[in-house]
Amino acid sequence: MIEFIQFVLAPQMLNGLALGISVILVALGLTIIFGLLDVINMSHGEFYAIGAFGALALSAFGLNYWVLIALVPVLMIPLGVITERYLVRRVYDGADRHVSTLLLTYGLALILEDVLKIMFGPNTHRPENPLPGATEFVGVFIPTYRLFLIAIGIAVILVVAFVVYRTRLGAMVRAASFDRNMAASLGVRVSWVYSGAFAFGVALAGLAGVLLAPVYSVFPTMGRDFILMAFTVVIVGGMGSIWGAVMAGVVLTQVQAISSLIVSPVWSEPIVFGVMVAVLMLRPQGLFGRIGHA
Amino acid sequence: MTDILQTEGLGISFGGLKAVSNVDLAAKANSITTVIGPNGAGKTTLFNLISGSLKPGWGRVLVDGRDVTGRSPAELQHVGLARSFQITNLFFEMTVRENLRLAAQRLEPVRHMLWPPRRTDRAARKVTELIDRFELAAEANEQVGTLSHGEQRRLEIAMCLASEPRVLMLDEPTQGMSHSDTKDTARMIRELAKDVSILLIEHDIGVVMEISDHVVVMHQGQKLAEGSPAQVRADPAVQAAYFGQG
Amino acid sequence: MLDRLDISMRANHVFSGILALAALIFGVLAAASGDVFYLRLATEALILAGLALSVDILLGFGGLLSLGQALYFGVGAYTAALVLRDVPSFWLALGVSAGVSLIAGIVGGLIANRVRGVYFALITFGMAQVVAKVVYNTRELGASDGLIGIPILEIPLGFVTLSADNPLGFFLLTLSIIAILYAVTAYMLTTSFGRVIIALKANEKRVPFLGYSTWWPRMVAYVLAALIAGVSGALYPMLRGFVSPELMFFSMSGNALIMVIVGGAGTLAGALYGAVLLTMLKSVMGSMTEHHLIAIGLIFIGAILFMPKGIVGVFKPWVERALTPRPGLDRAKDEAAFRSLL
Repeated sequence: MIEFIQFVLAPQMLNGLALGISVILVALGLTIIFGLLDVINMSHGEFYAIGAFGALALSAFGLNYWVLIALVPVLMIPLGVITERYLVRRVYDGADRHVSTLLLTYGLALILEDVLKIMFGPNTHRPENPLPGATEFVGVFIPTYRLFLIAIGIAVILVVAFVVYRTRLGAMVRAASFDRNMAASLGVRVSWVYSGAFAFGVALAGLAGVLLAPVYSVFPTMGRDFILMAFTVVIVGGMGSIWGAVMAGVVLTQVQAISSLIVSPVWSEPIVFGVMVAVLMLRPQGLFGRIGHA
Repeated sequence: MTDILQTEGLGISFGGLKAVSNVDLAAKANSITTVIGPNGAGKTTLFNLISGSLKPGWGRVLVDGRDVTGRSPAELQHVGLARSFQITNLFFEMTVRENLRLAAQRLEPVRHMLWPPRRTDRAARKVTELIDRFELAAEANEQVGTLSHGEQRRLEIAMCLASEPRVLMLDEPTQGMSHSDTKDTARMIRELAKDVSILLIEHDIGVVMEISDHVVVMHQGQKLAEGSPAQVRADPAVQAAYFGQG
Repeated sequence: MLDRLDISMRANHVFSGILALAALIFGVLAAASGDVFYLRLATEALILAGLALSVDILLGFGGLLSLGQALYFGVGAYTAALVLRDVPSFWLALGVSAGVSLIAGIVGGLIANRVRGVYFALITFGMAQVVAKVVYNTRELGASDGLIGIPILEIPLGFVTLSADNPLGFFLLTLSIIAILYAVTAYMLTTSFGRVIIALKANEKRVPFLGYSTWWPRMVAYVLAALIAGVSGALYPMLRGFVSPELMFFSMSGNALIMVIVGGAGTLAGALYGAVLLTMLKSVMGSMTEHHLIAIGLIFIGAILFMPKGIVGVFKPWVERALTPRPGLDRAKDEAAFRSLL
């Protein structure tokens, strides 16, 4: 029994946690964009892929991986700002905002995926693992890099939560999402808030891309595959809720990790989606509420 | 005359606040019963409780002696209850004619729901009748969103009548109307009472005095007073509620 | 008396009629020149038009964005494939597919109709993904390779027997079936019941006060859409000889959505035009470059930003105006007015 836990279950759970943290980072961006801007970003997975490819490309210039982890998300900020300002904003005020932004970002996703394919070819790449080897953690052996990933991920999540909930900046953003005109009349630069929030979400996705690249490889359709999981987490956690994304991210990836010990791994994804469908049926608003909406 | 609509001890609370508490109401057939009261008295909430938008916390609602407490708006419509809204709630992107047709469809037997449009005579005739009666002929094929406020309010009432209800609940029908529109509307409501029983929420005291058979005064969720318009007007408690500390 | 919605639907028929006529002319010309490839491509376009139609029912008329209609398309396709492998009967396959799609639609509708808006979109997305993955992993259904070896059908049509191998014949048959699906949909939307579906999109809150539940119309619309997608899907293996899980993937649902938006949502005809356009585009671009996703994405975004009413939507007002009866030509009213003067 102990051996089972030590050599099978715990490592699986820890690996699941590593995946979970990355999914949470992507989902955080998605849920922030929805919670603050009321926009469904179907291209979010592509930004995740761009982050990974960006890391790949820049590492060819000999840049150190640690630098990339900080650099790539920063580079993605202007990308996010441009997307919000010139695309999303144009359909934002229509009657069917949810539908039109969803469709628009879906079109963008198609374009971005093909652009990545053109620039980098259809093959899979795998950047070098900057932290090879395994470490012992509470009696369990886990690849060192994944441990690092978990640590960094938790740190980022805490920073995000802190910024959104405990700083003036976060308060301004939440106010702007709650009532745009009111916030504007109180002096909040709503236009910057929107671009900034979108860019922030996108940067988080990019960060996840960089972090996961050594683990899951880099290929042009990686965004499309990952977005499903991200959306599932966001829905189950509650669209717009940070803690919801965290909870759901952890729970769902654990469900996936543990269920692949029991059934064939190919079934773990359908099981996770099944959970999403069930949650949507029983509690459509997810586990928690939305940011800015007390 | 029998009571076409009754509430017994109707009430609901939101959080800790009793928005409506223990309201007993009795509306006689073919009469106009008006509910008045200062803002926040719970009038619209009362309407919502009766018309199925809200489930009562306690108490009963009876239509023609039948207990319909807690039924959905659609079920209440089948029992003959129709309700208009304080904030115009029409199908703005559709035309006047289409709006009325949707409301009048109810007159056709259920199997006509799947029949071609040409076969729905009764509804079509009703639509024409209402367009004439409410003087909406000029705008009949215009989008409701482009109508003037007064025209929209008229359409609100027309929509309710389309299904030939027994009880008509009008929530501030003259809200936002000009003086002459208000007078016309008041006159029309008076006319309607010959065929339909009317429960009315109104702020315009002139209208209330002129057309009501029975007035119910609400204050802070409770029934404060009731009686004929003259009785209510003379009631010192009512005056205090409106002009006093209220 | 005609109201604007009736005129709008008639205008849709004008566009569809033009397309049908163009299709017939194309068919005759193509067959005359001995072409096979383009006829089959056009047939595929028509099959996809059926899927697009199912998307438009929900989006353009019911106000529901479904991101998973490909699920029913795939269900129809796989069911037909399974039937045909054992019993190569056209009518049996079509019938069973219709039945299975109906049941699937009811199940899916019960799940999806508990929520609205964004959540509806995401739940339909999720359902399609779940089933697609399940099929992808099920060996009995051919797993990732799908089912191949669908026999070429001999289709008894009463007075003549058509071979599915006959490009023009199958093209015309598909055209007829899609036309029937279109007609059923259009009819349904002009009835009083259809009006309630449309009312849900216009102002859902008011609908109960008209005396209707909001659940039934939405369920019916959803199941009808599932049925149409399924029947269209059933035709696919008959044309191509195989089915694969890709038929249920999001790219399939997404493409149908693009067809509807580019063609014009809420016009029924737009779905058909969009399907033809997108299929043509993909074929032309596919021969030029591998990267047609960019072009499609750009066209899609272009449509959303600059032509949100779609191609049919842009031209429709002219047709509607032409179809609107002039005021003053209402004889009955004129006679009554005249008589009142006497």
